[in-house]
Amino acid sequence: MSIQNLNTFDPFADAIKSSEDDVQDGLVHVRIQQRNGRKTLTTVQGLSSEYDLKKIVRACKKEFACNGTVVEHPEYGEVLQLQGDQRENICQWLTKSGLVKPEQLKVHGF
Amino acid sequence: MDDDMIFDPSLKKKKKKKTGFDMDAALASEQGESTSVEAPVESGDVDVPEDENLDLDNFGKKKKKKKKTFFNLEELESALPETTEEKPPAEEPEPQEEDLVDDLDLEIDFSKTKKKRRKKNLDELVAEEENNENQENAEDLHGDWVSTDRDYTYDELLERVFDIMREKNPGMVSGKKQKFIMRPPQVVRIGTKKTSFANFTEICKTLHRQPKHLLDFLLAELGTSGSVDGNSQLIIKGRFQQKQIENVLRRYIKEYVTCHTCRSPDTILQKDTRLFFLQCETCGSRCSVASIKSGFQAVTGKRAAIRAKIA
Repeated sequence: MSIQNLNTFDPFADAIKSSEDDVQDGLVHVRIQQRNGRKTLTTVQGLSSEYDLKKIVRACKKEFACNGTVVEHPEYGEVLQLQGDQRENICQWLTKSGLVKPEQLKVHGF
Repeated sequence: MDDDMIFDPSLKKKKKKKTGFDMDAALASEQGESTSVEAPVESGDVDVPEDENLDLDNFGKKKKKKKKTFFNLEELESALPETTEEKPPAEEPEPQEEDLVDDLDLEIDFSKTKKKRRKKNLDELVAEEENNENQENAEDLHGDWVSTDRDYTYDELLERVFDIMREKNPGMVSGKKQKFIMRPPQVVRIGTKKTSFANFTEICKTLHRQPKHLLDFLLAELGTSGSVDGNSQLIIKGRFQQKQIENVLRRYIKEYVTCHTCRSPDTILQKDTRLFFLQCETCGSRCSVASIKSGFQAVTGKRAAIRAKIA
Protein backbone atom coordinates (compact mmCIF):
# COMPACT_ATOMS: atom_id res chain seq x y z
CA MET A 1 0.00 0.00 0.00
CA SER A 2 1.45 3.30 -0.99
CA ILE A 3 1.42 6.33 1.19
CA GLN A 4 -1.03 8.83 -0.15
CA ASN A 5 0.83 11.92 0.96
CA LEU A 6 4.01 11.03 -0.84
CA ASN A 7 2.39 10.67 -4.23
CA THR A 8 3.48 13.27 -6.68
CA PHE A 9 0.73 15.51 -7.83
CA ASP A 10 0.95 17.46 -11.02
CA PRO A 11 -0.97 20.69 -10.53
CA PHE A 12 -1.00 21.35 -14.25
CA ALA A 13 -2.46 18.03 -15.24
CA ASP A 14 -5.91 19.46 -15.63
CA ALA A 15 -4.73 22.42 -17.62
CA ILE A 16 -2.73 20.30 -20.01
CA LYS A 17 -5.55 17.90 -20.50
CA SER A 18 -8.10 20.56 -21.26
CA SER A 19 -5.79 22.36 -23.66
CA GLU A 20 -5.31 19.13 -25.52
CA ASP A 21 -8.96 18.47 -25.69
CA ASP A 22 -9.76 21.93 -26.89
CA VAL A 23 -13.27 21.42 -25.78
CA GLN A 24 -14.08 24.63 -24.00
CA ASP A 25 -16.75 24.03 -21.41
CA GLY A 26 -17.56 20.81 -23.19
CA LEU A 27 -19.84 22.40 -25.73
CA VAL A 28 -20.11 21.19 -29.27
CA HIS A 29 -20.77 24.12 -31.57
CA VAL A 30 -22.69 23.49 -34.73
CA ARG A 31 -22.44 26.42 -37.10
CA ILE A 32 -23.58 27.28 -40.55
CA GLN A 33 -21.83 29.42 -43.08
CA GLN A 34 -23.12 30.76 -46.33
CA ARG A 35 -21.19 30.16 -49.47
CA ASN A 36 -21.89 31.42 -52.92
CA GLY A 37 -25.50 31.37 -53.99
CA ARG A 38 -27.75 29.32 -51.76
CA LYS A 39 -25.01 26.93 -50.81
CA THR A 40 -24.06 26.46 -47.23
CA LEU A 41 -21.51 24.74 -45.09
CA THR A 42 -21.99 23.18 -41.68
CA THR A 43 -19.15 23.04 -39.22
CA VAL A 44 -19.02 21.02 -36.02
CA GLN A 45 -16.47 22.25 -33.55
CA GLY A 46 -15.59 20.88 -30.17
CA LEU A 47 -16.01 17.15 -30.59
CA SER A 48 -13.75 15.32 -28.19
CA SER A 49 -10.43 14.31 -29.71
CA GLU A 50 -10.92 10.86 -28.25
CA TYR A 51 -13.20 10.11 -31.13
CA ASP A 52 -11.94 9.30 -34.56
CA LEU A 53 -13.35 12.19 -36.53
CA LYS A 54 -12.48 10.60 -39.81
CA LYS A 55 -14.76 7.72 -39.05
CA ILE A 56 -17.48 10.06 -37.89
CA VAL A 57 -17.29 12.08 -41.06
CA ARG A 58 -17.38 8.94 -43.14
CA ALA A 59 -20.55 7.82 -41.43
CA CYS A 60 -22.10 11.27 -41.73
CA LYS A 61 -21.35 11.53 -45.39
CA LYS A 62 -23.15 8.34 -46.01
CA GLU A 63 -26.04 9.14 -43.74
CA PHE A 64 -26.75 12.66 -44.98
CA ALA A 65 -25.66 12.07 -48.55
CA CYS A 66 -23.31 15.00 -48.56
CA ASN A 67 -19.62 15.50 -48.77
CA GLY A 68 -17.57 16.35 -45.76
CA THR A 69 -14.10 16.64 -44.37
CA VAL A 70 -12.09 17.02 -41.21
CA VAL A 71 -10.11 20.22 -40.88
CA GLU A 72 -7.28 20.69 -38.45
CA HIS A 73 -7.27 24.02 -36.68
CA PRO A 74 -4.50 25.17 -34.37
CA GLU A 75 -6.89 26.60 -31.78
CA TYR A 76 -10.04 24.58 -32.12
CA GLY A 77 -8.54 21.20 -32.90
CA GLU A 78 -10.20 18.99 -35.41
CA VAL A 79 -13.33 20.44 -36.93
CA LEU A 80 -15.89 18.61 -38.98
CA GLN A 81 -17.12 20.22 -42.18
CA LEU A 82 -20.16 19.07 -44.05
CA GLN A 83 -21.67 20.45 -47.21
CA GLY A 84 -25.10 21.95 -47.00
CA ASP A 85 -27.27 22.79 -44.03
CA GLN A 86 -26.85 19.65 -41.96
CA ARG A 87 -27.45 21.24 -38.59
CA GLU A 88 -30.59 19.30 -37.81
CA ASN A 89 -29.16 16.09 -39.17
CA ILE A 90 -25.89 16.29 -37.35
CA CYS A 91 -27.55 17.17 -34.04
CA GLN A 92 -29.85 14.21 -34.28
CA TRP A 93 -27.12 11.91 -35.38
CA LEU A 94 -24.70 12.94 -32.65
CA THR A 95 -27.26 12.51 -29.93
CA LYS A 96 -28.58 9.27 -31.32
CA SER A 97 -25.15 7.74 -31.57
CA GLY A 98 -24.45 8.89 -28.03
CA LEU A 99 -21.36 10.88 -28.89
CA VAL A 100 -22.77 14.10 -27.49
CA LYS A 101 -25.45 14.84 -24.95
CA PRO A 102 -28.24 17.10 -26.17
CA GLU A 103 -27.39 19.76 -23.60
CA GLN A 104 -23.83 19.90 -24.86
CA LEU A 105 -24.92 20.84 -28.34
CA LYS A 106 -25.03 24.48 -29.26
CA VAL A 107 -26.46 25.36 -32.62
CA HIS A 108 -25.57 28.71 -34.10
CA GLY A 109 -26.79 30.56 -37.11
CA PHE A 110 -30.17 31.69 -38.25
CA MET B 1 -35.62 60.09 -39.78
CA ASP B 2 -36.82 62.32 -42.59
CA ASP B 3 -39.04 59.61 -43.90
CA ASP B 4 -40.63 59.27 -40.55
CA MET B 5 -42.07 62.73 -40.58
CA ILE B 6 -44.10 61.95 -43.63
CA PHE B 7 -45.81 59.05 -42.12
CA ASP B 8 -46.46 60.65 -38.83
CA PRO B 9 -50.21 61.22 -39.07
CA SER B 10 -51.09 57.60 -39.34
CA LEU B 11 -48.86 56.79 -36.47
CA LYS B 12 -50.32 59.45 -34.28
CA LYS B 13 -53.58 57.67 -34.46
CA LYS B 14 -52.05 54.45 -33.43
CA LYS B 15 -50.33 56.00 -30.55
CA LYS B 16 -53.50 57.44 -29.25
CA LYS B 17 -55.09 54.08 -29.39
CA LYS B 18 -52.21 52.69 -27.59
CA THR B 19 -52.44 55.04 -24.66
CA GLY B 20 -56.05 54.13 -24.46
CA PHE B 21 -55.02 50.62 -23.88
CA ASP B 22 -52.54 51.59 -21.32
CA MET B 23 -55.20 53.26 -19.30
CA ASP B 24 -57.22 50.14 -19.33
CA ALA B 25 -54.25 48.16 -18.38
CA ALA B 26 -53.61 50.49 -15.52
CA LEU B 27 -57.13 50.02 -14.34
CA ALA B 28 -56.51 46.38 -14.24
CA SER B 29 -53.63 47.08 -11.93
CA GLU B 30 -50.35 46.68 -13.63
CA GLN B 31 -48.70 49.96 -14.35
CA GLY B 32 -45.17 48.90 -13.66
CA GLU B 33 -45.04 46.45 -16.47
CA SER B 34 -45.87 48.21 -19.63
CA THR B 35 -43.67 51.21 -19.16
CA SER B 36 -39.99 50.86 -19.63
CA VAL B 37 -39.65 48.84 -22.74
CA GLU B 38 -42.49 50.28 -24.63
CA ALA B 39 -41.47 53.85 -24.33
CA PRO B 40 -38.61 53.67 -26.78
CA VAL B 41 -40.70 51.70 -29.17
CA GLU B 42 -43.23 54.41 -29.35
CA SER B 43 -40.77 57.21 -29.73
CA GLY B 44 -39.15 56.19 -32.97
CA ASP B 45 -41.48 55.87 -35.87
CA VAL B 46 -40.55 54.29 -39.07
CA ASP B 47 -43.36 52.95 -41.14
CA VAL B 48 -43.47 49.40 -42.26
CA PRO B 49 -46.34 47.07 -42.81
CA GLU B 50 -45.22 45.17 -39.76
CA ASP B 51 -45.77 48.23 -37.68
CA GLU B 52 -49.36 47.29 -37.43
CA ASN B 53 -48.33 44.57 -35.17
CA LEU B 54 -47.19 46.98 -32.61
CA ASP B 55 -50.49 48.00 -31.22
CA LEU B 56 -51.27 44.43 -30.66
CA ASP B 57 -48.93 44.21 -27.82
CA ASN B 58 -51.04 45.69 -25.17
CA PHE B 59 -53.81 43.75 -26.55
CA GLY B 60 -51.92 40.62 -25.90
CA LYS B 61 -51.53 41.61 -22.35
CA LYS B 62 -55.16 42.28 -21.96
CA LYS B 63 -56.01 38.93 -23.41
CA LYS B 64 -53.94 37.24 -20.86
CA LYS B 65 -55.61 38.92 -18.02
CA LYS B 66 -58.97 38.01 -19.30
CA LYS B 67 -57.85 34.49 -19.76
CA LYS B 68 -56.76 34.31 -16.20
CA THR B 69 -60.06 35.23 -14.81
CA PHE B 70 -61.70 32.93 -17.22
CA PHE B 71 -59.87 29.93 -16.09
CA ASN B 72 -60.53 30.65 -12.54
CA LEU B 73 -64.14 31.09 -13.23
CA GLU B 74 -64.34 27.87 -15.01
CA GLU B 75 -62.72 26.12 -12.18
CA LEU B 76 -65.02 27.70 -9.75
CA GLU B 77 -68.04 26.77 -11.68
CA SER B 78 -67.03 23.22 -11.89
CA ALA B 79 -66.51 23.28 -8.18
CA LEU B 80 -69.76 24.95 -7.37
CA PRO B 81 -72.49 23.73 -9.60
CA GLU B 82 -75.07 25.88 -7.93
CA THR B 83 -73.70 29.14 -9.21
CA THR B 84 -75.81 30.76 -11.85
CA GLU B 85 -73.74 32.83 -14.15
CA GLU B 86 -74.03 33.56 -17.76
CA LYS B 87 -70.89 33.63 -19.71
CA PRO B 88 -70.59 34.18 -23.44
CA PRO B 89 -69.79 30.70 -24.64
CA ALA B 90 -68.23 31.80 -27.85
CA GLU B 91 -65.27 33.24 -26.05
CA GLU B 92 -64.30 30.14 -24.25
CA PRO B 93 -62.09 28.04 -26.48
CA GLU B 94 -60.09 30.96 -27.67
CA PRO B 95 -58.02 31.82 -24.63
CA GLN B 96 -56.68 28.34 -24.31
CA GLU B 97 -55.26 28.30 -27.76
CA GLU B 98 -53.62 31.50 -27.09
CA ASP B 99 -52.13 30.24 -23.95
CA LEU B 100 -50.26 27.70 -25.96
CA VAL B 101 -49.05 30.22 -28.41
CA ASP B 102 -47.92 32.59 -25.77
CA ASP B 103 -45.98 29.97 -23.97
CA LEU B 104 -44.22 29.02 -27.11
CA ASP B 105 -43.03 32.38 -28.19
CA LEU B 106 -40.22 33.71 -26.21
CA GLU B 107 -42.28 36.51 -24.79
CA ILE B 108 -40.66 38.70 -27.34
CA ASP B 109 -43.13 40.22 -29.67
CA PHE B 110 -41.76 40.72 -33.07
CA SER B 111 -44.96 40.15 -34.85
CA LYS B 112 -48.32 38.97 -33.86
CA THR B 113 -50.58 37.67 -36.52
CA LYS B 114 -52.90 39.98 -38.31
CA LYS B 115 -55.96 38.04 -37.36
CA LYS B 116 -55.66 39.10 -33.78
CA ARG B 117 -55.59 42.68 -34.80
CA ARG B 118 -58.91 42.38 -36.51
CA LYS B 119 -60.53 41.08 -33.42
CA LYS B 120 -59.03 43.73 -31.30
CA ASN B 121 -61.52 46.50 -30.95
CA LEU B 122 -64.50 44.38 -30.28
CA ASP B 123 -62.76 42.06 -27.98
CA GLU B 124 -61.14 44.76 -26.04
CA LEU B 125 -64.40 46.26 -24.98
CA VAL B 126 -65.88 42.92 -24.16
CA ALA B 127 -62.82 41.93 -22.26
CA GLU B 128 -62.90 45.05 -20.19
CA GLU B 129 -66.46 44.56 -19.15
CA GLU B 130 -66.01 40.95 -18.46
CA ASN B 131 -62.98 41.61 -16.43
CA ASN B 132 -64.95 43.69 -14.03
CA GLU B 133 -67.82 41.29 -13.97
CA ASN B 134 -65.66 38.36 -13.33
CA GLN B 135 -63.87 39.97 -10.51
CA GLU B 136 -67.07 40.78 -8.76
CA ASN B 137 -68.36 37.33 -9.34
CA ALA B 138 -65.23 35.81 -8.01
CA GLU B 139 -65.59 37.69 -4.78
CA ASP B 140 -69.16 36.60 -4.46
CA LEU B 141 -68.17 33.04 -4.87
CA HIS B 142 -65.64 33.25 -2.13
CA GLY B 143 -68.24 34.56 0.16
CA ASP B 144 -70.24 31.47 -0.60
CA TRP B 145 -68.19 29.04 1.30
CA VAL B 146 -66.73 31.41 3.81
CA SER B 147 -70.10 31.97 5.39
CA THR B 148 -71.27 28.37 5.26
CA ASP B 149 -69.63 25.49 7.13
CA ARG B 150 -69.46 23.29 4.04
CA ASP B 151 -66.07 21.90 3.03
CA TYR B 152 -64.10 24.03 0.62
CA THR B 153 -62.44 22.45 -2.38
CA TYR B 154 -58.87 22.67 -3.45
CA ASP B 155 -59.74 24.86 -6.41
CA GLU B 156 -61.44 27.36 -4.20
CA LEU B 157 -58.51 27.58 -1.85
CA LEU B 158 -56.13 27.92 -4.74
CA GLU B 159 -58.20 30.66 -6.18
CA ARG B 160 -58.31 32.42 -2.86
CA VAL B 161 -54.57 32.26 -2.41
CA PHE B 162 -53.94 33.59 -5.87
CA ASP B 163 -56.43 36.37 -5.37
CA ILE B 164 -54.68 37.46 -2.24
CA MET B 165 -51.32 37.31 -3.93
CA ARG B 166 -52.56 39.31 -6.86
CA GLU B 167 -54.05 41.85 -4.57
CA LYS B 168 -50.87 42.29 -2.55
CA ASN B 169 -48.47 42.68 -5.44
CA PRO B 170 -50.26 43.43 -8.63
CA GLY B 171 -48.68 42.31 -11.84
CA MET B 172 -45.99 40.21 -10.31
CA VAL B 173 -47.82 37.01 -9.51
CA SER B 174 -50.43 35.28 -11.60
CA GLY B 175 -47.81 33.62 -13.80
CA LYS B 176 -48.46 36.26 -16.36
CA LYS B 177 -45.33 36.67 -18.38
CA GLN B 178 -44.08 40.07 -19.04
CA LYS B 179 -44.08 40.87 -22.69
CA PHE B 180 -41.03 42.30 -24.21
CA ILE B 181 -42.12 44.44 -27.06
CA MET B 182 -39.98 45.61 -29.85
CA ARG B 183 -40.45 46.40 -33.44
CA PRO B 184 -39.42 43.80 -35.97
CA PRO B 185 -36.10 44.11 -37.73
CA GLN B 186 -36.31 45.49 -41.23
CA VAL B 187 -34.28 43.27 -43.43
CA VAL B 188 -33.82 44.12 -47.08
CA ARG B 189 -31.66 42.47 -49.65
CA ILE B 190 -29.13 44.65 -51.37
CA GLY B 191 -28.29 43.12 -54.70
CA THR B 192 -27.77 39.41 -54.52
CA LYS B 193 -25.03 39.07 -51.98
CA LYS B 194 -25.68 41.52 -49.23
CA THR B 195 -28.45 42.12 -46.75
CA SER B 196 -29.32 45.35 -45.05
CA PHE B 197 -30.66 45.52 -41.52
CA ALA B 198 -32.21 48.95 -41.68
CA ASN B 199 -33.33 49.65 -38.12
CA PHE B 200 -30.27 48.18 -36.48
CA THR B 201 -29.37 51.18 -34.33
CA GLU B 202 -32.96 51.66 -33.38
CA ILE B 203 -33.16 48.12 -32.10
CA CYS B 204 -29.95 48.61 -30.20
CA LYS B 205 -31.54 51.60 -28.52
CA THR B 206 -34.63 49.62 -27.66
CA LEU B 207 -32.53 46.93 -26.09
CA HIS B 208 -30.22 49.42 -24.38
CA ARG B 209 -27.16 47.73 -25.75
CA GLN B 210 -24.08 48.99 -27.48
CA PRO B 211 -24.43 48.62 -31.24
CA LYS B 212 -21.00 47.08 -31.30
CA HIS B 213 -22.01 44.32 -28.94
CA LEU B 214 -25.07 43.40 -30.95
CA LEU B 215 -23.05 43.67 -34.13
CA ASP B 216 -20.43 41.30 -32.80
CA PHE B 217 -23.07 38.84 -31.79
CA LEU B 218 -24.93 38.96 -35.08
CA LEU B 219 -21.82 38.51 -37.14
CA ALA B 220 -20.50 35.72 -34.97
CA GLU B 221 -23.82 33.89 -35.05
CA LEU B 222 -24.37 34.28 -38.75
CA GLY B 223 -20.77 33.49 -39.52
CA THR B 224 -20.32 36.38 -41.89
CA SER B 225 -18.86 39.82 -42.01
CA GLY B 226 -20.59 43.14 -42.10
CA SER B 227 -20.50 46.73 -40.98
CA VAL B 228 -22.65 49.69 -40.07
CA ASP B 229 -22.88 52.16 -42.91
CA GLY B 230 -23.51 55.91 -42.98
CA ASN B 231 -27.29 55.66 -42.64
CA SER B 232 -26.80 53.69 -39.42
CA GLN B 233 -28.00 50.56 -41.08
CA LEU B 234 -26.17 47.29 -40.86
CA ILE B 235 -24.93 45.68 -44.03
CA ILE B 236 -24.35 41.97 -43.71
CA LYS B 237 -22.68 39.84 -46.28
CA GLY B 238 -24.86 36.97 -47.39
CA ARG B 239 -28.57 36.46 -47.92
CA PHE B 240 -30.73 36.60 -44.88
CA GLN B 241 -34.43 36.88 -44.36
CA GLN B 242 -36.20 38.82 -41.72
CA LYS B 243 -37.25 35.66 -39.98
CA GLN B 244 -33.72 34.44 -39.68
CA ILE B 245 -32.52 37.71 -38.25
CA GLU B 246 -35.42 37.63 -35.84
CA ASN B 247 -34.33 34.25 -34.62
CA VAL B 248 -30.84 35.45 -33.95
CA LEU B 249 -32.15 38.55 -32.23
CA ARG B 250 -34.33 36.39 -30.04
CA ARG B 251 -31.33 34.44 -28.98
CA TYR B 252 -29.44 37.63 -28.28
CA ILE B 253 -32.24 38.95 -26.14
CA LYS B 254 -32.51 35.72 -24.25
CA GLU B 255 -28.82 35.65 -23.47
CA TYR B 256 -27.82 39.29 -23.15
CA VAL B 257 -30.94 41.32 -22.44
CA THR B 258 -33.41 39.50 -20.26
CA CYS B 259 -32.37 38.79 -16.70
CA HIS B 260 -31.60 35.13 -16.24
CA THR B 261 -33.31 35.07 -12.89
CA CYS B 262 -36.49 37.11 -13.26
CA ARG B 263 -36.49 37.52 -17.03
CA SER B 264 -37.08 41.20 -16.82
CA PRO B 265 -35.58 43.13 -19.73
CA ASP B 266 -34.59 45.97 -17.44
CA THR B 267 -30.92 45.11 -17.28
CA ILE B 268 -27.52 46.67 -17.72
CA LEU B 269 -24.65 44.95 -19.45
CA GLN B 270 -21.29 45.94 -18.05
CA LYS B 271 -17.80 44.77 -18.67
CA ASP B 272 -15.76 43.73 -15.69
CA THR B 273 -12.27 42.29 -15.99
CA ARG B 274 -12.77 41.04 -19.50
CA LEU B 275 -16.09 39.43 -18.69
CA PHE B 276 -19.54 40.74 -19.41
CA PHE B 277 -21.95 40.88 -16.51
CA LEU B 278 -25.66 41.31 -16.71
CA GLN B 279 -27.01 43.40 -13.87
CA CYS B 280 -30.74 43.28 -13.37
CA GLU B 281 -32.44 46.50 -12.34
CA THR B 282 -35.59 44.79 -11.18
CA CYS B 283 -34.40 41.95 -9.01
CA GLY B 284 -30.82 43.07 -8.49
CA SER B 285 -29.25 39.83 -9.60
CA ARG B 286 -25.94 39.90 -11.36
CA CYS B 287 -24.55 37.14 -13.47
CA SER B 288 -21.92 36.69 -16.08
CA VAL B 289 -22.92 36.03 -19.66
CA ALA B 290 -21.15 34.06 -22.31
CA SER B 291 -18.57 35.93 -24.28
CA ILE B 292 -19.14 36.27 -27.98
CA LYS B 293 -16.92 33.96 -29.95
CA SER B 294 -17.18 33.39 -33.62
CA GLY B 295 -15.32 30.09 -33.32
CA PHE B 296 -14.09 28.14 -36.24
CA GLN B 297 -14.62 29.77 -39.60
CA ALA B 298 -14.28 27.62 -42.65
CA VAL B 299 -12.76 28.97 -45.80
CA THR B 300 -15.60 29.90 -48.10
CA GLY B 301 -13.99 32.41 -50.40
CA LYS B 302 -11.50 31.89 -53.12
CA ARG B 303 -8.35 30.37 -51.76
CA ALA B 304 -6.28 32.08 -54.39
CA ALA B 305 -7.47 35.44 -53.12
CA ILE B 306 -6.50 34.57 -49.56
CA ARG B 307 -3.10 33.42 -50.66
CA ALA B 308 -2.61 36.61 -52.61
CA LYS B 309 -3.52 38.64 -49.53
CA ILE B 310 -0.99 36.90 -47.33
CA ALA B 311 1.80 37.08 -49.86
